[in-house]
Amino acid sequence: MKGPRWLNDLTNSVLVQLFKHLPWLAERWAKGHRFVEGKGIPWAPLGKPLRESCIAMVTTAGVHLKSQPPFDMEDPNGDPSFRAFPSDVHAADLTITHKYYDHSAADRDINVVLPIDRLRELRDEGIIGGIAPTLYSFMGHIDGPHLKTLIGETAPEVARHLVQERADAAFLTPA
Amino acid sequence: MGLLQRAIEAGGIPTIGITLQKAVTEAVKPPRTLSLRYPFGHPLGEALHVRQQRTILLEALRALETIREPGTILEPGYVWRRHRFD
Repeated sequence: MKGPRWLNDLTNSVLVQLFKHLPWLAERWAKGHRFVEGKGIPWAPLGKPLRESCIAMVTTAGVHLKSQPPFDMEDPNGDPSFRAFPSDVHAADLTITHKYYDHSAADRDINVVLPIDRLRELRDEGIIGGIAPTLYSFMGHIDGPHLKTLIGETAPEVARHLVQERADAAFLTPA
Repeated sequence: MGLLQRAIEAGGIPTIGITLQKAVTEAVKPPRTLSLRYPFGHPLGEALHVRQQRTILLEALRALETIREPGTILEPGYVWRRHRFD
């Protein structure tokens, strides 16, 4: 859809609100859209109990440090890059760049998309063993040629970092 | 997000993801998923609702131990703004 920028932005923000309030509309959209079909399912078993496991968090909600460059919102195929920041980050240092969902709730409380405070509580209570040192953040809404970059480059790169950082498991959140 | 999850699992890290779009997840087939019928932008629920966020996070993490079948999608069935988390 090519048109004046203001019209595209307006159309997009209307769709964001419709999809938020009418989940069945999003389901119909999903049924009409072709996704990359998964063939086989990768499987890595959890090697130790949860209470001994170091948990990593990865999100596609477009979260990043205010000091980091924002995700590219101009490319209609999205931005396959990621941002990494320390897991002991202060929520006040984070922001969200993502125009394809309504992040007003997450702007008020980052735990809605990236539950850092909840994860710290579980660690302090001994329910999980620890928190991996780095959080990784992508923006969802990746399509076209950027899918290849995501699957072939940036996602495996994050996986390698997680292995190096001795994460035992990863919890992923969408937007 | 399922593609990212599959890539991380393929890299050797066990993963659990939340989905707000079960139909998409069924096509992409990530290894372990917790599915919620919540609006976009709310995978852990509502802002400042600590019990809700904690319950969802804990449910997801416990699924790392309990799910044995690749591709499992758990559905706790919480109704948006109706379920009582206490």
